[in-house]
Amino acid sequence: MSTASSTEHAAASHGHEHPKWLAHHFDSPAQQFDTAKLGMWIFICTEILMFGGLFVAYAIFRGQEPQMFHQAHEHLNWRLGAVNTIVLLFSSLTAALSVRQSQVGDRKGTSRYLVLTLLCAFGFLCIKYLEYTAKLDHGLLPGRCFGHPWFGDHCVGGGAAVLPAAVHGLSTRAHMFFAIYFMMTGLHGVHVLVGIGVLSWVLMRNMRGDFSKGYFTAVEIGALYWHLVDLVWIYLFPLLYLVG
Amino acid sequence: MSTHTNEPHDQAHGEDHEEWDVHAHISDTKFLVGIFSALIVLTIITVAVSRVDLGSANTFVAMLVATVKAGLVATFFMHLRHEKPFNTVIFISAFVFLGVFIFFTLDDLSTRGRIDPSNGVTVYARNGEAAPGGFTPIVTPEHGATGAHGAAAADHAAPAAGHDAPAAPAHH
Repeated sequence: MSTASSTEHAAASHGHEHPKWLAHHFDSPAQQFDTAKLGMWIFICTEILMFGGLFVAYAIFRGQEPQMFHQAHEHLNWRLGAVNTIVLLFSSLTAALSVRQSQVGDRKGTSRYLVLTLLCAFGFLCIKYLEYTAKLDHGLLPGRCFGHPWFGDHCVGGGAAVLPAAVHGLSTRAHMFFAIYFMMTGLHGVHVLVGIGVLSWVLMRNMRGDFSKGYFTAVEIGALYWHLVDLVWIYLFPLLYLVG
Repeated sequence: MSTHTNEPHDQAHGEDHEEWDVHAHISDTKFLVGIFSALIVLTIITVAVSRVDLGSANTFVAMLVATVKAGLVATFFMHLRHEKPFNTVIFISAFVFLGVFIFFTLDDLSTRGRIDPSNGVTVYARNGEAAPGGFTPIVTPEHGATGAHGAAAADHAAPAAGHDAPAAPAHH
């Protein structure tokens, strides 16, 4: 325990002079920290259940049309999916390391790892952008113009029931696979965007000097959110890109 | 030094056993890098296994590996290993309720009757007896191209041109 921290301890216990970041309704920093984490874990629970609805939809439609799922998934680029998996896993590592550096009071190290995490998040979205534009280009966006390139005038008037040569071999039912693909990866992508926002806020506060060995709650909670984003992708990758 | 000065205080406030300062476990950098390496190896395994045809076991293996990966992330990156057990209970409960959600939905769908297109009644697919509920079986191109073409296509709401398209690719 550092001298500063033990002084803080003594002052706070005896004179009830709490550190300024300790909210008045908490007895101690430890209680505040544990409460924040409890709240975050409950939130993570609700997040899993929100994605759960989409996983159930996936299970139902894949159970009903396994061949269609297999055919349709071959139109996804599994290499880009694998690269994105590695990018997210690495960003999860840097997020965990930023928490570690924060715990040992290394402010610069915390910032450095947070910046790395943010760069990975942007990298992930760039690769996602490449994938999405390719899908739109191949006419794989479900809806009125399914089967027709999004960037073109092939879909004037709509009612596209005929799949062009680019997606030849796919049944018209394949729009279900792509609806699920875009919803699942889209909702996940929104979480990546929110994660960028959260981690940028944590980075800003860290650079401002809000955190110390005794107080790094926001870094911990922000990292937990980022790990959740990684956790969801760990399941999305094999389910969407590697359909057996 | 700090331990020494703190002790009298702790004894004086003996009824308060709660820790004052935050005492979170600090993970070793090398250990975290090790976990990351394990996650990469498992990702490679997932991709490699998907290249081999194991039939229905493919999905099982993929989910098993994904669960091991998720377990590593939750246990070590998210610090559940050194967390209060109650947080782990909360986390696991999410998967329990997700399991309830998936199980009952799939159970419902698999035991519902199906609509008999020629008689317009809901029947059990296995014995043809009258059944509650029901939904229209989805017409896949495989079904459309082979048997039961007329009946299957007729009760499906999509435009007929959609079914003919895969059979007649020269449309463009």
